Amino acid sequence: MITLSISKFTLKLNGLATASRLITLLFILPIILGLVGTLLPAFDFLPALSHYQFSLKPWFSLFESPELWGSIKLTLLSGLLASFISFVIAFATISVFYESRWLISIRNTLAPILAIPHAAIAIGLVFILSPSGWIVRLLSPWLTDYERPPTWISVQDPYGLSLVLALVVKETPYLLFVILASLEQIKTCELIKVGTSMGYARIAVWRKVILPILYPLIRLPLLVILAFSLTVVDLSLVIGPNTPSTFAVTLFHWFNDTDLDMRFTASAGAVLLMFIILLSALCWEALYQIFVLFDRRRWCNGKRTSLLTPIFHGAAFTYLVSMLLAVLSLIVLPIWTFTHRWRFPDILPTSWSFKKIEQLAPLLFELACVSLVIAFASTLLALCISILMLEQKRTLPNSTRWFDRFIYLPIILPQVGFLFGIQVFLIWSNNSGSLLAVIGLHLLYVLPYVYLTLSGPYLAFNQSFYRQAVCLTKRPWHSFLQVKLAMLKPALFSAFALGIAVSFAQYLPTLTAGEGRINTLTTEAVALAASGERKKVGNMAMLQALFPLIIFMLAQWLPRVWTQYRLKLAKMITHK
Amino acid sequence: MLKKSLLVSGVLASLISTAGAQNWQDTLEEAKGQTVYWNAWGGSDNINAYIDWIKSSVKEEYQVNLKHVKLADTADAVSRVLAEKAAGNNNKGSIDLIWVNGENFRTLKQNNLLFGPFSQELPNYQYIDESSKKSLTQDFGTDVDGMESPWGAAQVIFMYDTVTVSQPPKSMAQLLSYAESNPGRISYPEPPQFLGTTFLKQALIETTHYPTALSKPVTQVDFDQVTKPLWAFLDRLHPNTWRSGTSFPSSSEQMMRLLDDQEIDLALSFDVSAASVQIDQGNLSDTVRSYVFDRGTIGNTHFVAIPYNSASTAGAQVVANFLLSPKAQIKKQDPTTWGDLSVLSYNRLSQQDKTAFDNLPRGIATLTLDELGESLPEPHVSWVEALEKEWRKRYAK
Repeated sequence: MITLSISKFTLKLNGLATASRLITLLFILPIILGLVGTLLPAFDFLPALSHYQFSLKPWFSLFESPELWGSIKLTLLSGLLASFISFVIAFATISVFYESRWLISIRNTLAPILAIPHAAIAIGLVFILSPSGWIVRLLSPWLTDYERPPTWISVQDPYGLSLVLALVVKETPYLLFVILASLEQIKTCELIKVGTSMGYARIAVWRKVILPILYPLIRLPLLVILAFSLTVVDLSLVIGPNTPSTFAVTLFHWFNDTDLDMRFTASAGAVLLMFIILLSALCWEALYQIFVLFDRRRWCNGKRTSLLTPIFHGAAFTYLVSMLLAVLSLIVLPIWTFTHRWRFPDILPTSWSFKKIEQLAPLLFELACVSLVIAFASTLLALCISILMLEQKRTLPNSTRWFDRFIYLPIILPQVGFLFGIQVFLIWSNNSGSLLAVIGLHLLYVLPYVYLTLSGPYLAFNQSFYRQAVCLTKRPWHSFLQVKLAMLKPALFSAFALGIAVSFAQYLPTLTAGEGRINTLTTEAVALAASGERKKVGNMAMLQALFPLIIFMLAQWLPRVWTQYRLKLAKMITHK
Repeated sequence: MLKKSLLVSGVLASLISTAGAQNWQDTLEEAKGQTVYWNAWGGSDNINAYIDWIKSSVKEEYQVNLKHVKLADTADAVSRVLAEKAAGNNNKGSIDLIWVNGENFRTLKQNNLLFGPFSQELPNYQYIDESSKKSLTQDFGTDVDGMESPWGAAQVIFMYDTVTVSQPPKSMAQLLSYAESNPGRISYPEPPQFLGTTFLKQALIETTHYPTALSKPVTQVDFDQVTKPLWAFLDRLHPNTWRSGTSFPSSSEQMMRLLDDQEIDLALSFDVSAASVQIDQGNLSDTVRSYVFDRGTIGNTHFVAIPYNSASTAGAQVVANFLLSPKAQIKKQDPTTWGDLSVLSYNRLSQQDKTAFDNLPRGIATLTLDELGESLPEPHVSWVEALEKEWRKRYAK
């Protein structure tokens, strides 16, 4: 009987294989089209502009452009530095605060910071840090004697350090989120217990035992962060330097240049940026392997303490500072929403007004509905696809290798180039401007994050629980839902919340597929951000952050109380 | 004989005009029920509100459904038309009307991405006097040729806070000495942002020894020689600008914010009513005033154009025509609405409309037409790219 039902399930698994192949194909197709749409213009081929002859002209003009090297240097510096610092801070924070009350508070503050869109946090940070910003206002004129703002360069500095700070503020919480989810898959508490009982300092246990086990689980999220730092546009537009700007921003300007010939140079640049990301990722991984090679001896040298302890504590403290900055920028947004006049050096607005939010209310409601529909549809789809693909990967690890390779391309490829290629395809297939196209394009960006976040915990799931359940109940599907997915609830909810946040933050994909006819809170916020007026931006950004924020909180709260409430409900029903 | 030919031509003229009226009647018929997607920069509340008013007016008067697609950058719309052409979408384009400036217009026109000529056939074009302003027929030196319809006029103005600055600089030379005695308080938008490029052009006009060269295409003159004083000027200015010239504001709006934050002393705008509007919205102090340089400042005209693949060209023309009506232009010039200058010729208006224009209120910081004075003409369009390239080569490395 058991063999029968298992063989039945195997049949279904064959269906799974077919479905996974179909999904892979459907997913790869637009990526290839987007790639081709970037690659061909990079070699001077674009029929729309009557360029039918392949040539290397775009590459020559790319390498002749004066901003190129400065831009690339800046991109590499800010991208690598931001990723490395984020990783160090995230790991140190967890190792210092794990199993303490602080970690709970840290965990609770993750959601709002993850949910808030990059551009908004950057706008908040600029306001806090700039010479006319909140910090200087708090200290002026009673301490600083400044009757008007000093002439410092504390944001948009030519080295991109303020950009690095913004990236760290935004990325460290994401890494913490990922690490915390991964730690639930390895027996962290036991490892610490055993380690400390053998006389190792806690930090030493984290450093020598947990890091090597943890790293493979968070390798991909780390690379995603690296690619994000290297390609981000909105954040660097706001807080990054502009003469030169980071390479992605330079490309963004080229793609939007009124001289259409710049598109060819921009496409070549997009291809180059792709290579830069690839090389950076290889370097990152190579450096880690070298580190492991040297570090391996130290894992078992028997030393019970770690010299890095003060550094770990310093990094953890840095996290608290960066969170303070994030919280301040979160507080600033709603303040600006209700501001009428607020000048330097006043600490708070001198006159308030509800006019702005009243004016915007009907629009905000409409935008919120559209944003939510798009976010839920794309995230639910992404979740189903991820589970399906991961199940297939678990049974036959090799069978999803194409999917695994291609899925990262949308996040790794610079949006500015890649999306132009896809846009041509959407119009050609007459799908441009439809809600479906927007959801599809969002899926392209939501799926990688959901898949990545889920894959660690999902593949690390101890399959014997499921096998036992099938043996006991003889119901594979039932066991799959009631045991496996139920046990993976925290990871599933986290992935879902992240998907929603990713979808909410998408600007270029919405604009490309929606043709400007489908507007979300984000497209509207960025369009308004062009006005540089803090009040409106504050208004939009606050709302844009609100929904993902609620969903994040639910995602953390629900798994904890789920079973308890479910059992209560079941009890009530049986009593009746 | 003379009489006869006059008669013939008179008959012909009346025939043509009835044909025109008939055509316009057809256009109005065709436009009924059409949906017009108007891609227009959406970064300003008061402009958006004005477009909303246009929306309800054309719905009521002509049964045209106007939809405002808010753009962060007009170049996005240019890209979309381009992408549609690439995909072979030649008659069902997603854009029916674009609010354009010089460079985007040149791109669209040069790549044959526009519908037309149509603007001179619009009934309300009768109020336009093409000879009154060069920029009505030459958009940044590109011939308009009826491919876009004028919508409004703009001129560069400077803004300052009378509390912090008593004597604002009224020429580029004064600006330089002001920056040297007040380091970090002067800036301008980063080229190729159009206002930044306009600042370069203004500085070029004021510094060059060869002013006549600017009306010629850049390829016909010695660029290095003509622009040498400009770069010398900027080399001296930049070390004393905001953030020591390592970064520049991205737009006029950001400059006004910095002015209000007191980080900088002067802001620029292409919108003559900008200061009054921002004071009203609580974004600038009511002690801010606008002014222009002694020699005048650069001015131009902005337009609306119809992409070649629009499916609602009739509806788009009806909207363009409505935008040119005295009613719409009077409302537009009202500073409590927008304050954008009218493109209509005052002398061609009816007495009633003249009075309406005369009675428009003026914001406390808006200059009169007299105070604005004669605007300086834009240099030939080829200067834009040449100046931007050279600027980025020198200062954006």
